[in-house]
Amino acid sequence: MSAGLSIAREEWRLWARSRVVLLAGVIVAVLLVVTSALTALRVADEAEARAARQASAEATFLAQPDRHPHRMVHYGHYAFRTPPPLAAFDPGVDAVTGQSIFLEGHRQNTAMFADARAGADLGGFAGLTPANIYQLLLPLLLIIIGHGVLLRERESGTLAVLLAQGQSALTLAGGKALALAGVVGAFLLPVTALAAYGAARGEPALTAALMVAGYGLYLAVWAALILAVSLWVRQRSVALGVLIFVWLLTALVVPRLGINAGSAAIDAPGKIESDLVMLAEQRKLGDGHNAADPAFAALQKQVLEQYGAEKVEELPMNWRGVVAGYSEKKLTDLMNQYAEKRMAQEAEQSRIVTLFGFASPTLAVGAASRTLAGTDLATHHRFLREAEALRFDFVQGLNDLHATKLTFADDAKRSADPEAEKRTRVNAAAWRLLDDFRFVPDPAAARAARAALPLAMLLGWLVLLGGAIVAGARRLRP
Amino acid sequence: MIPALEARSLSLVRDGTTVLEDVSFTVAPGEIYALLGGNGAGKSTTLLTFLGFLAPSCGSVLVNGRAVAEDVDGARSAIAYLPEAASLYGHLDAYENLGYFLDLAARKVSRAAMDEALDQVALPREARGRRMQSYSKGMRQKTAIALALLRDTPILLLDEPTSGLDPVAIDEFHDMLKGLADAGRSVLMVTHDVYGACQVADRVGLLRGGRLVGSFEAAAGERIDTETVHAAFAAREAA
Ligand SMILES: Nc1ncnc2c1ncn2[C@@H]1O[C@H](COP(=O)(O)OP(=O)(O)OP(=O)(O)O)[C@@H](O)[C@H]1O
Ligand SMILES: [Mg+2]
Repeated sequence: MSAGLSIAREEWRLWARSRVVLLAGVIVAVLLVVTSALTALRVADEAEARAARQASAEATFLAQPDRHPHRMVHYGHYAFRTPPPLAAFDPGVDAVTGQSIFLEGHRQNTAMFADARAGADLGGFAGLTPANIYQLLLPLLLIIIGHGVLLRERESGTLAVLLAQGQSALTLAGGKALALAGVVGAFLLPVTALAAYGAARGEPALTAALMVAGYGLYLAVWAALILAVSLWVRQRSVALGVLIFVWLLTALVVPRLGINAGSAAIDAPGKIESDLVMLAEQRKLGDGHNAADPAFAALQKQVLEQYGAEKVEELPMNWRGVVAGYSEKKLTDLMNQYAEKRMAQEAEQSRIVTLFGFASPTLAVGAASRTLAGTDLATHHRFLREAEALRFDFVQGLNDLHATKLTFADDAKRSADPEAEKRTRVNAAAWRLLDDFRFVPDPAAARAARAALPLAMLLGWLVLLGGAIVAGARRLRP
Repeated sequence: MIPALEARSLSLVRDGTTVLEDVSFTVAPGEIYALLGGNGAGKSTTLLTFLGFLAPSCGSVLVNGRAVAEDVDGARSAIAYLPEAASLYGHLDAYENLGYFLDLAARKVSRAAMDEALDQVALPREARGRRMQSYSKGMRQKTAIALALLRDTPILLLDEPTSGLDPVAIDEFHDMLKGLADAGRSVLMVTHDVYGACQVADRVGLLRGGRLVGSFEAAAGERIDTETVHAAFAAREAA
C-alpha cells in the first residue's frame, strides 16, 4: 500500500505544481464561498423578514378588539416555517415553494394548490446554491483535473516505466484512485464546514454527517468513473470527450428526462383546471354564510329532530354558527381530498424522478441532499398538512364560539340593532386559541431513512465502477 | 544451468494477427543476447511477454526457470526493464525521478549511489538537479538507463537502449554492459544497430515477421562477424 501512497503523493505533487489545477481550485473556492455567503445571507434575510411578519401578524391578530367571530375567520393568519440549518447549503424545494403560507376560513392555503407542473421537488435548478456547485460544477472540475491521471502517463511513455518497477497494475490504479480521493477530500472541506456550522445551529449530527458522506460518495462516484474511463480508453482526448459526454448526460439530460417522465406518467392537472372542477363541486355544498341555503335543509331537519325543536330559533345554540361549522367541515373535506390527491401525484412524480437516480448519480445525490437538509417535497407536504390542520382547528374554534356564545336572535338582527351587534362580539381573549404554530423538521433518523435509497444508488454506482476499475487494471498494458 | 530467460515455441496473436510465431531461444546467466530485426518484427513484443504484460497464445516464456504465467511478480522483480522510448517525469529532476521509481520498486537508494549510476551513463552533473523537461533525448535515455542499473536486478531487458545516445556514449554503454555481464547479469537487448550488437553481444538473434530466422554466436574469444549478420539481415529483409 505504501507504493500506492507514493503514486498518489507524486500525483499530488504534479497537481500542486500545475497552474491549471491551482487556478481551478481557486475558482471553486471562490464560487463556494460566494454562493454559501449569498445563500446564508438570503436565508438569514428571509428568516428575519419572516420573524417580523410573524410577530406583526400575531400582534395585529391578537390585538383585535372584541369582534364577531366570523369576522375573525376571514381575518386570516400566517403560518411560517423556519428553514432548517442545512437549507443554507441546499434550499431544495423551499426556493420554489417559499416558507410561509396564509391561512383563512373556507380557503385552503394557496400553496397547496400551486401549479403541479412547476415541478418543485423535481431537481429543478433554482439559482446558484452550494448544493448545485457540488452537484454540477465539482464533477466537471474533477474531470478536468483527473482525466489525465493515467493517460498522461501512457501518452508521455512513463506508464511503461511505472509498470516496469514491479508494481501490479492494480496497485497503480489504487494509487491513482487514492490521488483522486485526495482531491475529493479537498473538495469536501467546504460542505464539511457548512455541515458543522449547521450542526452548531441545531442540526442533528447524523444528518449533517450523512450530508457530507452523501456528497463524498457522489464525488467518489465521479472519481471512480474518471479512473475507469482512463483504464479502458487509450487516448487522453477520447477520455475527456467520453467523460464530458457522460457529465452532460447524467447531470443535465437524464434529470430532464426524469422530470418529463414524471409529468407524463402522472399528468397532474394545472392549477386552473383543478380550480374549476373544485369550484363546481364546492357549489353543491352550499354557502356557509347563508343558514337558509337549501343545501343545509337535511342538516336542519336532523338537528331539529335531535333537540325536539320546531324552529332553529328554539335550538339551544346559534344555528348560524352550526351551519358555518358544518359547511367549513364539508368544504375542508372536499378541499383536503383534492389536496391529498394533488400531493399524492406530486409525491409520485418525485418518486419517479428519484428512480431516475439509477441512471444519474446527480439526481440521486440531489434527492438525498434535499431530504437530509429537510427541504424535500415530503417535508413540504407535511408542512402543508400541519398548516391546514391548524387552519381548520382555528376556524372551527371560532365557529364553535359563534354557535355557543352568540344567540341566534342577536346574530339575525345585529346589522339593524347596535345593542344586538354589541352582544354578538366575543371578547378578544376568547380567540387566543390560535397556537403558536412551530413546524418541527423530521427527526434525523426519519430523514436518514428516506435518504437511504438515493444513497444506496450512489453506493451501487461506486461498486459497479470499482468493478470496472479492477477489470480495467487487469488488462492494463504499457 | 538454468537459463535466465527462455522462450519456448513462443507464439502470440494480437488483435487477430500473429505477431510472434514459434520463437525459441535462451539467455544464460552472464550472457548478452541481442535481438535484431526490422520495424514491426516483434522485438518489443518479445520483451513484453517476459514481463507478463502480454500472454503467449502458444508456448511459454520462463524467467530463471519459472513460467512467467505462474509467477508474474517473481519475473518482474528479477527484471529491470528499459522500455522503448522510455520517458520519466518532466516536472521532476533526475534525482526525484530515480527516487520515485526506485521507491516503487521497493529499493532505497542513496544520493551517492544515484550519482554513481549517473556517472556511469555520463549524465552531466549540472543537469541532474534540473527538471527533466529541459533534457535532450540522449540525456533522458541516459537517466532511464541509470534507473534500470539502480534496480540492481540479475536480468536486464533493454529495448533500444542506445537510441538517442551519441557514439561515445554508445561505446561507453557497451563497455558497461560487458562489465555487468562479467558480473553475472543477463541482458536481453533489442537494437537496430547491427554493428553495436555484434560488438557487445554473445549471441545475436534475427527476428523477421515474428519468426526467429537466424541466430549467430561468437566463436570462443572472438566477436560475432558484423558482415555475416548484416548480410543475413539484408537478405532476409529483401526476401
Ligand atoms: N497494441 C497493439 N495491438 C495490436 N498489434 C500491435 C500492437 N502493438 C504492436 N502491434 C503489432 O505487433 C507487431 C510487432 O510489434 P513490435 O512493437 O513488437 O515491433 P518491433 O519489432 O519492436 O518494431 P520496432 O523496431 O518498430 O520497434 C507489429 O506488427 C505491430 O503492428
Ligand atoms: Mg520496438
